[in-house]
Amino acid sequence: MLALDEHMDLANLALLLVLGAAVAAIGSSRTVALLACAASVVGFNYAFVPPRGTLTVGLHQHAVLLLAMLAVSGIVTLLMGRLRWHAARAAEHARRSDRLRQMGEALRQIDDPAEQVIALRDALQAELPARARRDTETYAALLRDPQGNERWIGHTSADDADGLRLCVERGQAMGPGSGRYEQRTAWYLPLRGRQSTHGAVLLPGALEPAGAEALLPQLQALCDLLGGVLERQLALEAARAAREQAADHALRNTLLTAIAHDHRTPLATILSAASALHDQVGRLSVEQQQRLAATIVDEAGQLARLTDNTLQLARLGSPGIALQTDWVAVEDLVGPVLARARRRDPQHRIHARLDPGLPLLRVDAVLMVQLLDNLVDNARKHGGRDVPAELLAQRAGDAILLVVQDRGPGVVAAMQPRLFERFLRADTASQEATSRSGAGLGLALCRAIAQAHGGDIGWRPRRSGGSRFEVRLPLHQLPDGSRAERGDAP
Amino acid sequence: MSLGVLLVEDDRELRDTLREALQVEGYRVAAAASLADARALLAHAPADAGIDLVLLDLGLPDGEGATLLAELRRQSATAVLVISARMDEGPKVQLLDAGADDYLIKPFSLAELLARMRVALRHRGRTAQPAILRYRLAGVYIDLAARRVQRDGQDVHLTPTEYRLLARLVRQAGSVVTHRQLLVDVWGAEFSHHTHYLRLYMAQLRAKLETDPADPQLLITEPGVGYRLTESEP
Repeated sequence: MLALDEHMDLANLALLLVLGAAVAAIGSSRTVALLACAASVVGFNYAFVPPRGTLTVGLHQHAVLLLAMLAVSGIVTLLMGRLRWHAARAAEHARRSDRLRQMGEALRQIDDPAEQVIALRDALQAELPARARRDTETYAALLRDPQGNERWIGHTSADDADGLRLCVERGQAMGPGSGRYEQRTAWYLPLRGRQSTHGAVLLPGALEPAGAEALLPQLQALCDLLGGVLERQLALEAARAAREQAADHALRNTLLTAIAHDHRTPLATILSAASALHDQVGRLSVEQQQRLAATIVDEAGQLARLTDNTLQLARLGSPGIALQTDWVAVEDLVGPVLARARRRDPQHRIHARLDPGLPLLRVDAVLMVQLLDNLVDNARKHGGRDVPAELLAQRAGDAILLVVQDRGPGVVAAMQPRLFERFLRADTASQEATSRSGAGLGLALCRAIAQAHGGDIGWRPRRSGGSRFEVRLPLHQLPDGSRAERGDAP
Repeated sequence: MSLGVLLVEDDRELRDTLREALQVEGYRVAAAASLADARALLAHAPADAGIDLVLLDLGLPDGEGATLLAELRRQSATAVLVISARMDEGPKVQLLDAGADDYLIKPFSLAELLARMRVALRHRGRTAQPAILRYRLAGVYIDLAARRVQRDGQDVHLTPTEYRLLARLVRQAGSVVTHRQLLVDVWGAEFSHHTHYLRLYMAQLRAKLETDPADPQLLITEPGVGYRLTESEP
């Protein structure tokens, strides 16, 4: 300006000063800019306004010029400041909505509410200015489902717990800037969904009332985001539970129908034989009486077996069932099965062929005997009587195969894909495909038992007619030293 | 002189049916529907017509049959047969290890019941003979006094462990012997969980004594419980 002094008059120089003030206002805060513009007007007066080198103003018009300069510079500075404040606010809004969006995405990635609450903590922390932050150790959350079950995350004092409960019940934020419990050094923020409040978080922090009031809407927005997510999860869960319950109900019904149907057949036989003995006792020959009594004994045995199957299936279906596994030789499974089959029907012939040198199995012997017994009894009922059924045990790599095969008519095509399903019997009850006392729950139980042992069961037709049921069981390593201690073995 | 049976069973139908059936077989039957009834009957049984065998149901209205078994075992050598509707093997094995002579799972046939009663009475009751030393069935002859085992007239060579295992079963022929009892008596208390020893030796014994080891007639498996040597021919 000093360089231009000789070429320009005072008014033009003053305009340059105003320009300088405007430029200064772009880069600095409002107070600094206002001070700077006051100082520059004083400096201008000192350096350029005659008489130069003093702060006195010679002419009235110069005084007007100086005052106008001061006013214009001030207004420019204020306007610039306002503009900058608006720009900053817009940027902050954009950042906040960006953070909300990120939070929303983060919450979608997590399923566990406990982890979601931690993600919310980090997002809330990020919103707090450094001076407002406190130790996050005391961060805590309370989740409450519609049934009123509470889930606590983090540790709270009894006082804070009451605060959180109150917050959930009222659905209102409490703490600095909320107009409620202003003096606290923490915020209680409700997790609000559209319909109700699903919990609350305790966010440690303190801020002067004005700052807190400005911050609170953003904190609440983040919390409501989680509230919405929780509400959606609850709705999904309720829908799934309803679907499962309906499916469960349907399964239970078919199962009950199958059980009742299975039990009806032997019961009908028992009832007719027993009532004949009861009502016709004088007119029946001794042989007839004995035959009827034998029928009752047989069918009652059948009924007992069906009941065992049903009970065992229910037991295997319950969660956390522990098998009573122990080391068992294949003979220890096959022997009882053959004995039972013989007791049931002395005429029923079964050939058992066990490969020599089969290793011990690690199984629940009672269940495995029941499995084989079901298969053998199945072969008795459906496998034809001309050729005896066979019970084989073979090694197949690192598994053992237990096979029951017959030369009966096999399984009709329509039944094959669903042979091992629980409700086979109920669905095919109308068809004559399954003769009396059909597969019922027996094969479903066989599969449940095989699978509980880490194995499986399959069916396939035999080349020249008949059925082959194959149970595959994994082998286990015998405990060390068992061989060495068999000191006197031959 | 008939044998006395105490039938402890809370189901009236089953109790009445069994009582009649046992009376037809010539037993003197006292029936109790609860633990308290059973205790009273045991305490007041006349000396000349005592109780030789107790048929004990497990779940009774005023407690578990197992408590009565413990009381009986403290006082007397009365034979005890457990009758139970329970599928679980665990409690059954515990009762056998606690001194019950045998068990029957409901439903059971009268023939099974009578056979088990006969064996239990032979081992414990009034007709108790000296410990069984000779055994004969299906061509197999065992004489514990002479340490001799024959099959179809031929001597069968058994290793010492095989012999001890067989002898243990012969002494209680007809009754079930639990895995634990066999392991403890033949191998020692520290082997009570080494079931695989038992499986391997049983397989060897069957190979030497049975016509068809896959379908044994002598050494019968009671799945999940133990083994039973079929009753000897008279």
